Amino acid sequence: MSLSQFLLRRILQALPTLLGVMLLVFVLFNWVGGDPAYILAGKISDPARIASIRQQLGVDQPYWVQFWIFIKQVCTFNFGRSWSTSELVSDILLSRVGPTLTVMIPVLILETLLAVLFAVLVAYVRGSLTDRMVMMSCTVAMSISFLVYIIVGQWLFGFKLGWFPVQGWSDSVITNLVHYAPLPIFLTVLVELAPSLRLYRSFVLDEMNHDYVRTARAKGLSEHAVMLKHVLRNAAIPILTNLGIALPGLFVGSFLIEVFFSIPGLGREVVESVNRSDFPVIKATTVYLAILTMLINLLVDVMYRWVDPRVTFK
Amino acid sequence: MLLSATCWLAADSAFAQDAQPLKVLRTTLRTAETGFDPQRINDLYSTDIAWQIFEPVLDYDYLARPVKLVPGVAQAVPLAEQDGRVYTFHITPGIYFADDPAFKGKKRELVARDLEYALKRLLDPSLNAPYSWLVENRIVGLDAFVAAAKRTGKYDYDVPVAGLQLLDRYTLKISLTKPDYNFLYIFAMPQTAPVAREVIEAYADDTMAHPVGTGPFRLTEWVRKSKIVLERNPNYRGAKLDTRYADLHNEWDREVIASIGGKRLPILDRIEIYPIEEEQPRFLSFMNNQTDIHDETSPVYMNQVAPNNVLAPSLVKRGIRAFREVEPELTYDEFNMEDPIVGGYDTQHVALRRAMVLGHRRDQEVQIIRNNRAMVAESPIPPGVVGYDPTYTARDQDYDAQRAKALLDMFGYVDRDGDGYREQPDGSPLTINYLLPTGMQYTKLAALWVKSMNAIGIRLTVSQEQFADLLRDQQVGKFMLTGAAWIADYPDAQNFLQLLYGPYTGSSNRARFKLPAYDLAYQQSLTMPDSPERNALYREMSRLVLAYAPWRLGVHRSYTHLVHHWVHGYDRHPIAHTRFLYLDVDIDARQAVQGR
Repeated sequence: MSLSQFLLRRILQALPTLLGVMLLVFVLFNWVGGDPAYILAGKISDPARIASIRQQLGVDQPYWVQFWIFIKQVCTFNFGRSWSTSELVSDILLSRVGPTLTVMIPVLILETLLAVLFAVLVAYVRGSLTDRMVMMSCTVAMSISFLVYIIVGQWLFGFKLGWFPVQGWSDSVITNLVHYAPLPIFLTVLVELAPSLRLYRSFVLDEMNHDYVRTARAKGLSEHAVMLKHVLRNAAIPILTNLGIALPGLFVGSFLIEVFFSIPGLGREVVESVNRSDFPVIKATTVYLAILTMLINLLVDVMYRWVDPRVTFK
Repeated sequence: MLLSATCWLAADSAFAQDAQPLKVLRTTLRTAETGFDPQRINDLYSTDIAWQIFEPVLDYDYLARPVKLVPGVAQAVPLAEQDGRVYTFHITPGIYFADDPAFKGKKRELVARDLEYALKRLLDPSLNAPYSWLVENRIVGLDAFVAAAKRTGKYDYDVPVAGLQLLDRYTLKISLTKPDYNFLYIFAMPQTAPVAREVIEAYADDTMAHPVGTGPFRLTEWVRKSKIVLERNPNYRGAKLDTRYADLHNEWDREVIASIGGKRLPILDRIEIYPIEEEQPRFLSFMNNQTDIHDETSPVYMNQVAPNNVLAPSLVKRGIRAFREVEPELTYDEFNMEDPIVGGYDTQHVALRRAMVLGHRRDQEVQIIRNNRAMVAESPIPPGVVGYDPTYTARDQDYDAQRAKALLDMFGYVDRDGDGYREQPDGSPLTINYLLPTGMQYTKLAALWVKSMNAIGIRLTVSQEQFADLLRDQQVGKFMLTGAAWIADYPDAQNFLQLLYGPYTGSSNRARFKLPAYDLAYQQSLTMPDSPERNALYREMSRLVLAYAPWRLGVHRSYTHLVHHWVHGYDRHPIAHTRFLYLDVDIDARQAVQGR
């Protein structure tokens, strides 16, 4: 199958998946989402007012009408305005993605580089005291809540030692990267490094036990070449898969990090939208994220072939 | 060329020496704002920001306690005419809105029509204004005007309303459907602040992001839920502190007079406000000198800030000052008076509610859950509002388990099947459900209720719901017992007592309390100005609340606000909260500390 045929088939397969996501978010919102009219009505309201707000929002329409509007919104990429702030949903998403990516892209790069580097190193010295110590540290690190890292990290590095600002955000990407983002990035990497390291170590170890590694060594290749040219290249496929799964998460970021460091990102926005039953924002975020996830999965599948020419499109 | 460059540098350097550094104040919000259109705002924190940008026609004196109404953009506080049925507002000529493209380059003067427009706008069906209740069913002809507009589908602001009479460019006469001596208070709320129609029409759906007022500051930057920047409004006419009502025994009042008395206000050039929902970063950014004011310190940090209610020496050493106040607000638990088990006005059901009130460990709520940062409520009227009586006590709301048990026994609520829990007098099960929002604080309050009721043999279950669902269930009366709180919109007891007024059932009266004697007293109180006679009616209404127990009165929460020593003029107002108009910042003192 050619690449274009493969892409076309995958895109067609994505449509029912997207419809399923839309149906799920629609059912969930109407089932457990809460009626936004009661929040928007203010301190003192009455049934007539609630009915008027429901009519204005369109939540008094039959479900099939509401779902049809949802489909039209997805097709036109126009989700209207936020119910709680009247801001255009497209403006909300565009303005929130930047801060989230400012933190999450460095996190992904640093975490991947460090995790792969340490994974190869500890896998190479498998069973040694260093390996055991690193693995034990990872287990301990994984058993501590992210919240604890944030609270302690913010107090220690932000307040007590004064190395970083406690919180804040600027309009300038440079200021953010140099001044405000380092502590959130450091804490997130600290949390995400341990599980990734353990996982990548197992990928590397798995490859090290294969016959081709023994053959490479028997042929007299240096350990450096064996590990980096052969083992790491083959371990890259599961690592890539793992990164592919993690990529959509970049766009929603970490709610906790964004809330504690006052970063105006998408994760914080989504949680606040859920709290305020702001369905237009919830709908848009879910749909865009679903599309993004499917696109990234497709990209990862295409990259498999680039990493391993034996892989064929089926 | 070198010479000219040298001259330019010298001139620039001289200018830099002469130029005053900008006075910038940095503070935080506990909850993210939603926008600043006065007629559309719903939440407390957005209201506080809007108050810096817009000017209601009336205002509160900065220092007067109890609070006192003074003119805002009106020339004077109107007198009640025709026994409280008519109020005439004279707008001060020569007040201008902040410049905005909507004015097409012209200066725009504030006129009476802007106030009329704002009042009509509160009832615009397309707006669904959260504070429409301020004018609903009060102004002659306004509700009929709205009803007609709903029928025709066109809300025409140019159609005159009988009760909103423009006498001239600066005068608006408002006629009410019935006497109301508390009516003026709503004109000190940002929700009724005059707005320019051309601005509202120019920005249409986006008015929340384009506030254009006549107030001391204007919005110059807004990164939603992250940063709000206000800068001095060049068109603001300026103000001076009125010291007539100051309490010279009060150290905060003395400091305000010493620091800003006689100066032209505002002094601040710029205010940066950061919404930070989490308590730790909000507190630490203040302690780190990243922010200048820390409003409403969380009880979590109170042992650090003021162990044994005395400001910690480490903070005293840093010159941090703590402003403490009991806010005009009330927490309470309300019984559903229409519920067949806990509701009703007969002695048996009254006895059940009163027993539950007596059995509830409110003392532990104050000591343990609220860390002693609250004052038990003796009546539905909190301190700081007109009608509050500090001598009024309610022993029937104090914890007394023996009395509670005796009352239950007397009215037949006894344990018939020996399971440790009482049944109803007819032998049917007695299980009471307590409805609350989700959240740690509410879980603690619920646990205390369960423990308290277990101790007197009443089975209490708990339901915690999302906020939207909770509001719905409370409004339609789908609960037995539920928690609530009310923060004063204006400083009169009526704002609290209306919560139990019978005709407001299904609206603000969520307990669905309908007692003719109470309703009559409430109606009479509306027709009376502040007087001993009206206070007697308020007292009678409080007595009826205690006697019939539709509410278990909770507490009036107390708050501690922290300010650094370089902030001057701080004196938090019970209703208007922090007023940037009156604040000053000693930039040199702040820089000296930050440079250390």
